[in-house]
Amino acid sequence: MKQQTKLSEEQQQQSRQVGTEQQTQKQSAREFANAEEMLRYDAAHTTVPPGIAQRLQKSTGGATEPKTSWWRKFLRGNL
Amino acid sequence: MNEPAAGCEFVKEPPADLASAEFSSLYAENSRAIYYLALRFLGDPQKAEDATHDVFLKAFRKLDQFRGEASLRTWLYRIAINHCQNLRQGWHDRHVFSNADDAVWENAAARTDSPLRVLEIKELGQRIQKTLDGLPDEYRLLLLLVADEELSYEQVGALVGQSPDAVRGKLHRARKAFAALFEKTA
Repeated sequence: MKQQTKLSEEQQQQSRQVGTEQQTQKQSAREFANAEEMLRYDAAHTTVPPGIAQRLQKSTGGATEPKTSWWRKFLRGNL
Repeated sequence: MNEPAAGCEFVKEPPADLASAEFSSLYAENSRAIYYLALRFLGDPQKAEDATHDVFLKAFRKLDQFRGEASLRTWLYRIAINHCQNLRQGWHDRHVFSNADDAVWENAAARTDSPLRVLEIKELGQRIQKTLDGLPDEYRLLLLLVADEELSYEQVGALVGQSPDAVRGKLHRARKAFAALFEKTA
């Protein structure tokens, strides 16, 4: 009888866990009407590597270097 | 019409600070779009980083040649597309791309018109890449350009050498092809 109760508790716990997982999946689910919408979402979550701006600063040389480097401003988000 | 004020001097080349300010603004406004195009077109983050650097370097060197006939975004896309296509052209000699058979897309059932659903957002990028890799270059490029809300069908058409109507027609087929392949990546 005691074992039955324990099993029942375990089953209930498992059931609760499955419910939580399903809820989590439901929360993280996304629907997109078409491919472009999905690509837009993907693009918005894509980070441009900061190394590109730094490499560009080197590549463009000091010919147009202002007092504060444009890429420093860019990385600081001052643009 | 605004006439230049008397005594106003015209300069043939912009001052260095001005060129730099223009370029920094150009980079800030367009780097994400160009990087994303390179990333998904080439399918390799390191190559995309190199390509984005090269595209903006070309733009920096040719900024004075920009004639204003197109938007700066379109001009940058043109440089990026040429650059990425040249890179891919070289790879084709060394790699075999497994494009799915055309019949798969032509026969794609109506179910592919339903909303595309993903459960794990972190997997989205990988699945998108896999899907795009399976599409012909033409469809891949078209979808990536149309996804940029700043571009009109006319601008997309100019970039891919098609009329706006042709873009709309091909876009419909590209969407179906994308949806059919995307389902297979699950």
